[in-house]
Amino acid sequence: MAMNPMEQFEVKPIIFHDPLFSIAGHPIYFTNQALFMLIAVAVATLFLTATVSKGRLVPTRGQSMAELSYEFVANMINSTMGSDGLKFFPLIFTIFIFVLFQNFLGLIPWTFTSTSQIAITFTLASFVILTMVVTGFMTQGLGFLKLFVPSAPWYLLILLVPIEVISFLTRPISLSVRLFANMLAGHTLLAVFASFVVLLGAAGGILSVFAVAPFLLIVAIFALEMLVAALQAYVFAILTCIYLNEAIHHANH
Amino acid sequence: MSEPAVTHTGTEAQHSAGFPPFKTESFPSQIFWLVVAFVALFIVLWRFAGPRIAGVIGQRKGQIAGDIAAADKHKADAEAALAAYEKALATARAKAHAEAEAGRKVLEAEAEKAKAAADAEAREATAAADVQIAAKRAEAATHVTKAAQDAAAEIVNRLIGVSVTPDEAAAAVKAVGA
Repeated sequence: MAMNPMEQFEVKPIIFHDPLFSIAGHPIYFTNQALFMLIAVAVATLFLTATVSKGRLVPTRGQSMAELSYEFVANMINSTMGSDGLKFFPLIFTIFIFVLFQNFLGLIPWTFTSTSQIAITFTLASFVILTMVVTGFMTQGLGFLKLFVPSAPWYLLILLVPIEVISFLTRPISLSVRLFANMLAGHTLLAVFASFVVLLGAAGGILSVFAVAPFLLIVAIFALEMLVAALQAYVFAILTCIYLNEAIHHANH
Repeated sequence: MSEPAVTHTGTEAQHSAGFPPFKTESFPSQIFWLVVAFVALFIVLWRFAGPRIAGVIGQRKGQIAGDIAAADKHKADAEAALAAYEKALATARAKAHAEAEAGRKVLEAEAEKAKAAADAEAREATAAADVQIAAKRAEAATHVTKAAQDAAAEIVNRLIGVSVTPDEAAAAVKAVGA
């Protein structure tokens, strides 16, 4: 019986035991994570295309949800970046939907939560920061470096510029660890309480009755985790908006 | 659960050891599949789902705006029709009023004329009657004078036996009557 709550985060090959191929000497396996990442993408695709395929004037429930998610992201971009930020809409929409569906898919038992892997979240976060830097230099040229120079007397800048640089460099870390740690902690907690249920239930006698307590806790934590799943997708997307906003508009701070 | 972890050796020993998210040997596979999944979703949303949803939302907004514009136009038309109706009503009312007034004036004039005619007729009749009365009165007066003369002549004849001519009696009556 699997009692290790960390076991659920194990990335392991499925179906094919041998690597599919190698990239620069690194073997690429078809893993449980790959399967559920692709499932999440497939579900998201279905959710956002099949529901609107008929394009009803009075939307069905599914179409309404697809439209709501679309307008939610559009409003998020409008409020943080202004209307000229809408050129990033496909990117931010993809990030939001990607993280949201990975988070929610992971809540179903026996699935794999890709966003509980630091490799995934850090790659995503690095991609966001890289996009920000490239866009920043493309739209503002070297003026983008003013991001590190707040308006302050020169003697304060000696102190402030290194702080700004460090805070910039920690962005991919904070962005990725926030999502990773939230998902990891929530799923670990669920697994720990689930193991309590199993242990108490297996103990027999009066102890089995107490198995109800951790079970009720699981229900409560699961509800909380649904909130966290949506909230972390939102946080990731809105931070992306805020960072990209600094790239296309002069930072005034 | 019997599958080995993503490791270069794939042994069970390495499987159970360490914190799974920090096992770097799984990173190449993770990043590879992340790129595949993310790019696939990006293309779907960028090329198909996004424009489709935007199209549906835009279509609805256009339809609603069009419907509102049509409704506004109908409202304006209805208001114009109402204004035209009220104007026509006011005109008709004014015309009717004027006609009634004219009719009333004509009737009044006719009544006036009829009254005047009746008055004139009445006056004429009165005048004629007056003349007749005067004539009758004169006639009566002559009758009275004649009777007085006759009576005077008769009285004189009876009293004194003198025969009086009508002319003398008339003179005498006249002298007394005057």
